[in-house]
Amino acid sequence: MAILATERPAPVQQRAVLPAPKYRKVFGVGRSRLFQYVVIVILALFVIAPIVPILYQSFTDRPLYEAGGILTVQNYVHLFTDSGFGTVILNTAIFAVSTTVLTLVIAVPMAVLVVRTRLPFGKVLGLSMQWPFYISSLILSFGWITLYGPAGFVSVVVRDAIGFVPWNLYSLGGMAVTEAVALAPIAYVFCANALRQSDASLESAAQVCGAKPLRILFSVVIPMLRPPVVYASILTFSMALETLSVPLLYGTPVKIEVFSTFLYTNGLQSIRPDYGILGAASTIILFVTIATVFVQAKVLKNSQRFISVRGKATRPRRLELGWIRWVGAAGILLYVIFGATLPILGLVFRSFTLIFTPLQSPFKTLTLANYDRIFTYTAYINSIVNSVIIAAVGAVLISCLALAAVLVAKRSNFRFARTVEYLALGPQAIPGIIVGIGFFWAFALLPNALGGLFQGALAGLIVAFGLRALPTAFGSISPALMQIANELDNAARTSGADWLGAFMRVLRSLLFPAFMGAIILVFVTMMKEYSAALFLSSAHTGVIGTTMLELWVQGNSGSVAALATIQIAITAVFVAVASQFMKGHADA
Amino acid sequence: MPEVRVSHLFKKFGNVNVLNDIDFTINEGEFFTLLGPSGCGKSTTLNCIAGLEQPTAGSIAVGGTPFVDTERGIYVPTEERNLGMVFQSYALWPQMTVSKNLAMPLSIRRASRGDKAERIHDALDKVGLSHLKDRYPHELSGGQQQRVALARALVYSPSVLLLDEPLSNLDAKLREQARAWLKRLQEDLGITTVYVTHDQDEALSLSDRIAVMFEGHMAQIGTPKEIYERPATAHVAAFVGSCNFFTGKLENRNGRICQVRLDNTGAIVTIVADGDFTIGQEVTVAIRPEKLAITPEAIDVAGVNVLHTEVLTRSYVGSRYEYGLRLGRNVVQVVSADGGLDGAVRLVFDPEDALLYPGVTIPSQEAQELMTVSA
Ligand SMILES: Nc1ncnc2c1ncn2[C@@H]1O[C@H](COP(=O)(O)OP(=O)(O)OP(=O)(O)O)[C@@H](O)[C@H]1O
Ligand SMILES: [Mg+2]
Repeated sequence: MAILATERPAPVQQRAVLPAPKYRKVFGVGRSRLFQYVVIVILALFVIAPIVPILYQSFTDRPLYEAGGILTVQNYVHLFTDSGFGTVILNTAIFAVSTTVLTLVIAVPMAVLVVRTRLPFGKVLGLSMQWPFYISSLILSFGWITLYGPAGFVSVVVRDAIGFVPWNLYSLGGMAVTEAVALAPIAYVFCANALRQSDASLESAAQVCGAKPLRILFSVVIPMLRPPVVYASILTFSMALETLSVPLLYGTPVKIEVFSTFLYTNGLQSIRPDYGILGAASTIILFVTIATVFVQAKVLKNSQRFISVRGKATRPRRLELGWIRWVGAAGILLYVIFGATLPILGLVFRSFTLIFTPLQSPFKTLTLANYDRIFTYTAYINSIVNSVIIAAVGAVLISCLALAAVLVAKRSNFRFARTVEYLALGPQAIPGIIVGIGFFWAFALLPNALGGLFQGALAGLIVAFGLRALPTAFGSISPALMQIANELDNAARTSGADWLGAFMRVLRSLLFPAFMGAIILVFVTMMKEYSAALFLSSAHTGVIGTTMLELWVQGNSGSVAALATIQIAITAVFVAVASQFMKGHADA
Repeated sequence: MPEVRVSHLFKKFGNVNVLNDIDFTINEGEFFTLLGPSGCGKSTTLNCIAGLEQPTAGSIAVGGTPFVDTERGIYVPTEERNLGMVFQSYALWPQMTVSKNLAMPLSIRRASRGDKAERIHDALDKVGLSHLKDRYPHELSGGQQQRVALARALVYSPSVLLLDEPLSNLDAKLREQARAWLKRLQEDLGITTVYVTHDQDEALSLSDRIAVMFEGHMAQIGTPKEIYERPATAHVAAFVGSCNFFTGKLENRNGRICQVRLDNTGAIVTIVADGDFTIGQEVTVAIRPEKLAITPEAIDVAGVNVLHTEVLTRSYVGSRYEYGLRLGRNVVQVVSADGGLDGAVRLVFDPEDALLYPGVTIPSQEAQELMTVSA
């Protein structure tokens, strides 16, 4: 550095001035602003399209595409007087609350154990805790029924041993347990992240004061968990409110209805669906889910403040818990094995046998017949192809839209930046089945030529599934952008790049890994999605989920298992290939 | 190299006034520094010039071209202003090599291939880093990154150079060298430069003129000498360099010659001061530590201002000593080359060397508490 002090900078030659670039304007606004307007218009159309027809239908006395509709509140009156909606509300409340409690009971202790204590095989356990996320809850439910249902493998074993089955899967309790197993990974990830970020020096301080590990756990670590726990419980609650798979499979045979199955039976199973009641019920459910998401957003804001006040992230110290750690490890193992691994393995195994019961060795009836059935009917093959097309095309489109929305929302001086963020995150509040109903009516209202593009077509499914996946994509790209210092794009701006140019030249390649991550996430989400398709699919645009339900109703549980296995395989292959690709790119 | 005219600039974030009527003109080729404590609005002012923030009111023009004028509804976006800017974090694009970093502003301006190569070479040469042009930013030291950032800001010959605390991430030694180097580079280029810092030494040594800001208000604009020797307010005196403050009452006044009775000892001192003062008014006297002289009690001194004190503390700070002297309830800081003073001493200062401010303006509560001895 001594050179610095002695050497004079080279003499200056004046070069010709390079003037700053001029950017063309259309209607007085630059292309960047234009782009921002396009993004908000697309988002607004996307989000409003399914909601407006529902609201309108709920106040109209006949199907909304029939002429001469009269505005009325009659639908709401009907809903509460003679449709049994009261019981539905009660069931939903019981189901959602018990699901939330159970989810937290599973997820919170596990997060604390994995992140904050020395656990045998902690890392492996932590990772395996998350994998059920990749499995759709429809498939998980099939797996559970296969093992723990009235005629399930495990149930039969237990009945043989003790003479009766001590549980009943087809009840609100059974539903709640299964749903909790399905939602636990999400709650777990949230709590674990919060714990990783929080300050470990508090614990060290407590330790220096001579507090015992267990004491520290209860007096320091647990209170710190309050914000993430509050958030995770609201998140779980809102997801339990709208879930369809578990209530549909468990509740329908014993006539326990919740919000989503109420819409399902009234919209799809009655011969002449009452659109007014459907609209009114959807509207009310929408209000409830929007309210929970609203609370969730408020709480999240506060909890983030809570975390960031704690300042620098330090490596968390792990507490030594003695023999209790083995109990903890066993608990997690129990969850992973009995909650997810066994049901899924059982389902996969089921797909290769004719009969699946402990009464007769399933190995005697090993067969590929279940797969044969699927591959002999074009409609079934189509549904697999459709699912892949929808997930692949949707993943790219939705990730692009989400990327654009994140840029506008987080990195522009656009007047409506906040609106863009709300629009992109809002669909979180719309249950899948309502998305289906809403778009079904929206497409019906479109002029014929345009409506034909979407009605019963893959494009319609991509739109509907995409709406459901948009918040996920937004949520996965946004933190990545926030990590990129604002000064990097400011430097591009002062260098002469306009807002769009700063993205194209600087941010684009920095955001590529996050974009790929979003693609993977959206693909998995759209692969799992099916509820919107119940209303939107035509005979030849079914998806794996709807086909599985169809086969289930026909009693072809072997082929259901086969389709589930296929879906899991496709997801696994895609995630593996895409992650590999991402790794390769990051190294380059 | 054009002049920069910032007039009546206001900026609000929500309900908070971050800038209040900021007004200054930077001459062609001048090294102009915005100095002030953290959060006073220096970066906001700079960002307004760069176009990264839009002022709530006011106008900014460079070389006569209006960049922003809220009254006339003019706003030139950042990318069309042709300014060079260096950020506190350097903001080098991590995925590009040094030469790619420099190439980007040039390719945006559609420079020809040859021109591009030449300019990149020149700019890197200026900062002495041509041999590192194929490195990635993370392969450079902090000081090298800072110079690359500067090269990137200069490569397209911008009209004005904006620097936001560019040296604050360097270690102390390197910062001093980089300071000298930066000063020479700026002089050689003759480029109009706006420099933001909260470091007074940096501001004093680098600048042609300094603007001192507090809480969104402009306190004083002047050359380093003016700012240091004739600070406009007690706040400026306290922020730029260190200073002793005593409160007192104006007893008498004869032209520029004021007699002040100090609150701490009741002694009367004579101070030469301009400005409006009325007799009986509360005033604050400010004296820099190096303007005070200490003499042993034994030796008689002639002079108007002689105060009797005793030595409380003495510390060696390399090449000189810092003394803490008791003056009533106050501790007075004095710098002296003599390390052998102890016990009762006399404090002497020239009436011309003290500063007088109206009112009891104690610049910093905390500093004042540190400067008090419990009785
Ligand atoms: N985007 C913003 N929204 C709200 N307040 C802001 C925003 N940017 C800056 N401020 C506030 O404006 C004030 C001035 O900020 P500025 O960044 O200009 O300070 P500064 O003088 O550069 O300080 P430092 O030396 O710490 O960089 C601060 O009080 C800051 O909190
Ligand atoms: Mg700043």
